[in-house]
Amino acid sequence: MPKSKVVKREKPRERFSYDPTRVLTKLEEYGRRVLEDIKTGKNPYFDIPMRGLNNVYFDEKRRVIRMGDKLSRRYFLNVAHARKFMQTLLIMAYVKRLVSEGKHASLREAYYANKHTIPGTKENTFEDQRESDPIIEDLERMLGVLREEMHLTADRRGYIYGDIVIRDGEDEFNTSKLGMGGWAVPGTVEHLQFVEVNVDYALVVETAAMADRLIEEKFPKKENALIIATQGQASRGVRRLIHRLHYEEGLPIIVFTDGDPYGWYIYSTIKQGSINLAYLSDKLATPEAKFVGMTMDDIKRYGLENVTEKLKGIPPNKKGGPTGDYKRILEEMEYPWFQNREWQRQLKMAVKMGVRIEQQALANKSLEFVAKKYLPEKINNGELLP
Amino acid sequence: MAEASQLFKEFKIQSVSEFFRRNAAMLGYTGKIRSLTTVVHEAVTNSLDACEEAGIPPYIRVEIEELGREHYKVIVEDNGPGIPEKYITHVFGKMLAGTKAHRNIQSRGQQGIGISGAVMFAQITSGKATRVITSTGGDKTIEAWVKIDVDKNEGKIVKKEKHPNPKGWRGTRIELEVKNVKYIRSKQGVYWYLKLTAIANPHAHIELIEPDGKLIVFPRSSDYIPEPPVEMKPHPRGVLTDDVYRMAKKTRRNTVKRFLVGEFSRISDKKIDELIEYIAALRLIKTEEDKNVQEQLYERLMKGEVKAVLRSFRGYTKVVKQVAKIMEKPPEKLTWHEAEEIVEAFKYMKFLAPPTHGLRPIGEENIEKGLRGILKPEFVTAVTRPPKVYSGGIPFQVEVGLAYGGEIPAGFELLRYANRVPLLFDAGSCVTTLAARSIDWKRYKVDDLDRAPVVLMINVISVHVPYTGTGKQSIANVEEIQNEIRLAIMDAARKLQTYLSGKHRKLYQVKRKKTFEKYVPEIARALSVLTGEEEDAIRSYFLTFIESRFATKEGELNEVSENA
Repeated sequence: MPKSKVVKREKPRERFSYDPTRVLTKLEEYGRRVLEDIKTGKNPYFDIPMRGLNNVYFDEKRRVIRMGDKLSRRYFLNVAHARKFMQTLLIMAYVKRLVSEGKHASLREAYYANKHTIPGTKENTFEDQRESDPIIEDLERMLGVLREEMHLTADRRGYIYGDIVIRDGEDEFNTSKLGMGGWAVPGTVEHLQFVEVNVDYALVVETAAMADRLIEEKFPKKENALIIATQGQASRGVRRLIHRLHYEEGLPIIVFTDGDPYGWYIYSTIKQGSINLAYLSDKLATPEAKFVGMTMDDIKRYGLENVTEKLKGIPPNKKGGPTGDYKRILEEMEYPWFQNREWQRQLKMAVKMGVRIEQQALANKSLEFVAKKYLPEKINNGELLP
Repeated sequence: MAEASQLFKEFKIQSVSEFFRRNAAMLGYTGKIRSLTTVVHEAVTNSLDACEEAGIPPYIRVEIEELGREHYKVIVEDNGPGIPEKYITHVFGKMLAGTKAHRNIQSRGQQGIGISGAVMFAQITSGKATRVITSTGGDKTIEAWVKIDVDKNEGKIVKKEKHPNPKGWRGTRIELEVKNVKYIRSKQGVYWYLKLTAIANPHAHIELIEPDGKLIVFPRSSDYIPEPPVEMKPHPRGVLTDDVYRMAKKTRRNTVKRFLVGEFSRISDKKIDELIEYIAALRLIKTEEDKNVQEQLYERLMKGEVKAVLRSFRGYTKVVKQVAKIMEKPPEKLTWHEAEEIVEAFKYMKFLAPPTHGLRPIGEENIEKGLRGILKPEFVTAVTRPPKVYSGGIPFQVEVGLAYGGEIPAGFELLRYANRVPLLFDAGSCVTTLAARSIDWKRYKVDDLDRAPVVLMINVISVHVPYTGTGKQSIANVEEIQNEIRLAIMDAARKLQTYLSGKHRKLYQVKRKKTFEKYVPEIARALSVLTGEEEDAIRSYFLTFIESRFATKEGELNEVSENA
């Protein structure tokens, strides 16, 4: 007995477009330019888009955080730049080898592979992974390619469960046939291909515990949904996967987090991108994602008053405030993408009530409550926040 | 009650020599180490003076032989002009005799008791005569044993021999046997004294043979022989009543006027007319009974309104005429009171600053040579200030040398000199120490003076150095002198600062260059991977690039410092 569905799969808007030769061409092009500069007696340099809050803005039209056009020029012949200039080239050469050999390395491996003592000195090329990671980020911005496209991966985090078939290299599998744990999302999802997608939407869940609960209650099967567990802040792999599923497969994205500033921030990152990775918003952000909960309204509606927790910090009307959770909520109220009636109302209510509510608080009703009542009711009635 | 005649039975006239025999401390014979240094000092000073006056580059050899416990033989030999036979007793035997004591002249010694004092010291400690071997370069050398007859203040040759001089040797060698002294290589000892002397006299070659037979050579580092100082007539602002009175008794001039014009600097016939008016005015002011009026008149006189002051008294022409008569009488008739009046008038009058041609600084170039030759520093600079005047009329001049680094050990060292003579004692109370310590050395890039390899030498030159005591080892804190010393030190310190910052900059540049060069192999390897070009070729592109950039950069820096 098919129900009338509010949430439906849409038409795809992007095509699978992974091309390793593009990365190689860019690397060679930059190397050649440095060489030409030095041959003609010019001080070679790299122009690297600046990181940080000063160089990001919110693109109202596309509704994502974007990087500005401020550049920092990294010269070879500058005492403050020389070391980083050298490090940039080392990583570039390393990436070239990785990509052309079709191998992947973790950020930590990239650090160790390039760390050695500079001959005739006591200095290492890299002293710490905190030196190599930023260089890799610089390269992403400079070349306009993803770290994953450079075959550099971060630690994996998050998993998916649902009736979709993925091709990963020579393996092909359905992520609902891998047991209760689903399929762990790798650091790099660029090369994945979606062979079959038999779900109506993707539900992004903040905590693994809640995702496990939903799987146990057979929510994916009953609601024809894909569960994506982020396990806290969504990793790049997960964010990229969400983006691809939305744009390449037309899956609506619905986010389910705790009702607290951290949960809302996770949602904000999935939806609009982050300041840190503003240059990747086009590839990571999914502005059309919607929010199912937890909301402040849920407390009253489902009678959850007893299972709320107090917000941490000092409220804004008290001396010394706002601090802690209060401060973060007030900051989020300033975000351009939260400038709508519904969100402002939720955030104000949180400050006023001084409480937060976790996903698991729904277990107070019953273990099945979230899968059988809460989610189907809200999603199918379209009671989602923008 | 004792009769006067009884009391005066014991009254004796003490000869000059007798006085100094009893008061050897006044001549620098205190302490076992210092006494030995003083003996050497007197002999070496005589040698240097003699050589300079004769225009001979000094070659001085000092030998200290240990004969027994606190018993030494001091031998000082020079290549000076030698001493004619008949003057030997004068040079070595008579106190307060010599060529300088009575003249207004810059000199190493001042009263002419130096070497005879040493002879006496030898005599009263060891009982031995001083052996002198000298030749003026003729066919004979004279060997004489000299003693002092203390009662008569006379030199006495106890034994004399003449020897042929086939090689034409010229010079003087004296040998003194002294007791109650000690040779120690301390900052007050002979070694240190000679080292300091060598620094201030770069034209001299000085050798020392220590009691253990060790030979130390302070070689000559300059060919320039300083001109001997010339006599300077005293400046009216720098004399006391006693000076004027005694000079008047001795002069050969026939009137007071001629005496004043002839034997003082900056006094002309016209100044005598002025002097008459000032003396007259002073006499008249003293007759004024109202103290307030008197005060006012003194002030006006100080402002130079002498004519107006005179006119305010009735019958002033009579007084002027009386005073004018003083100027016409023979100088030996000048009374103490008149001399007093003259000196008082001098204080109100204006004179040109005293001449300074008699001052003989070592000179910047020679100070640098001296410091460089003896201390082997990495940097040296010197400043000779123009002559100045203290106490209204005594000319003086300050020069400093500053040496840094090289073989100089860490720790600040101050070398003090008065008229080129090293001062070894009483450093704490000396104006040079005060001045050196009052400088903010941090401003000149010397962050911790007491740990920096810095040697500062200060030479104060004057016909009359204001010592703090009879020891003559410490210069009094006269404001004008301290200021000059400070200015000289700051000037030299600025040059040191320039040197040090240049050095830092150079080091910094080298360091910078190395920073870039060390990354080149890494960069070349990476670029070779990226572009496929030869690693060696890429490396040389980078090295050439760095080289060219630093060549131009240093050029720019030099231009900047030259313009600054």
